[in-house]
Amino acid sequence: MSTPARRRLMRDFKRLQEDPPTGVSGAPTDNNIMIWNAVIFGPHDTPFEDGTFKLTIEFTEEYPNKAPTVRFVSKMFHPNVYADGGICLDILQNRWSPTYDVSAILTSIQSLLSDPNPNSPANSMAAQLYKENRREYEKRVRMCVEQSFVD
Amino acid sequence: MEDKEAVPVPVQSDFNPAAFVAGYNREPIYFDEKFVYLVTDINQDELIMQRRREIEKEIWESTSLISEKEDLGSLEAEYITDEVYQSKVKDLLRKYNYIRRTRPDGNCFYRAFAFAYFERLLSHQREYEDFKEIIMKNKTNLMTSGFSTVTLEDFHETFMEVVEILSKGVSAQEELYRVFNDQSYSDYVVVYLRLITSSQLKLNADFYQNFIEGDRTIVEFCHQEVEPMYKESDHIHIIALSSALDVGIRVRYMDRGQSTEAIAHDFPEGSHVRVHLLYRPGHYDILYPIDAD
Repeated sequence: MSTPARRRLMRDFKRLQEDPPTGVSGAPTDNNIMIWNAVIFGPHDTPFEDGTFKLTIEFTEEYPNKAPTVRFVSKMFHPNVYADGGICLDILQNRWSPTYDVSAILTSIQSLLSDPNPNSPANSMAAQLYKENRREYEKRVRMCVEQSFVD
Repeated sequence: MEDKEAVPVPVQSDFNPAAFVAGYNREPIYFDEKFVYLVTDINQDELIMQRRREIEKEIWESTSLISEKEDLGSLEAEYITDEVYQSKVKDLLRKYNYIRRTRPDGNCFYRAFAFAYFERLLSHQREYEDFKEIIMKNKTNLMTSGFSTVTLEDFHETFMEVVEILSKGVSAQEELYRVFNDQSYSDYVVVYLRLITSSQLKLNADFYQNFIEGDRTIVEFCHQEVEPMYKESDHIHIIALSSALDVGIRVRYMDRGQSTEAIAHDFPEGSHVRVHLLYRPGHYDILYPIDAD
């Protein structure tokens, strides 16, 4: 049955195919339009470069009026990514607006990789290293990048 | 301790976890030669979101999005021990006979306005034709307000689906009530009104900037206080929406103010009032005047 949420997700998918943003991709899983798999490529000139990071996006019938749940499946070392892959990003929480679509969500997460916010840490050690020991931070990020090839 | 509540940090040979953790002033729960786990990095957002969902569920189960019409006398019972409010209820009872409650979810202004106005349009078909024209004109404004065309089309289409119901006239009263209590359709109407409000603010930024406290720009204000769902509305939102749609709204204020009347404010000022709302701190419901036109 078509509901506003499902109809909207078909549109999101169409837009993502017709006008794909650089460095991100996503598609519904085979038998469920409410669950998507996505990939974000590590942005150039950041320690995440060359990484292929997998995510899942889970929507409810309340989408787009409620944000979906987005989670990294690939191991991440980032100040704003929790151990369970959950992402601490304002637009996925209190600043969510129904005008954001999947394309906007993925590009926002991509820019979070380039510009972490160490002041609201989800991984306090990553935040600490990012602020005080950039070399060590980058080393750990590179380990995630290498891990992402294997996953 | 479950793994998911801890952050594994791979440790390099030149990195001393004990020293790091000691200097870092947080309790490690476990570390060996490979990983340090910190107990403090629990996914707080999810805990907060979960708590919020629980609170929402309680509200949702106790109040429908739009309730049935009720005798306004029901308000008297709510304020039996409160003299300030009681005199205001008495004043309201001289002017209005029914109230229709809305769910207090931060969207109540938009939802109350939309239902009250749409209900009116069922029996005012000429006004309905004008309204459709205004909506189509307004769509052009929305296109230039920086929203993605794809999402905009989606909201517009669903909004128009609801608007089309109104062409059936008063016989569609029940259908309108049902649609407004269907969460997704009802919320789509709210979103579209939020977008109209936002674009009205942006297009007249010079004027509306004066109402904004702090050093936020209109665009920032719209991103933070207008476009997201569940964000409450203030005068500025009401002025913008009523001007954009050219629909006069009278808000009756029931607050702690010393007046014995529930003071009325009309938006935009001096307009022909078509929708009556009751404001109590933080919430809007619909009022039905005794001598409706």
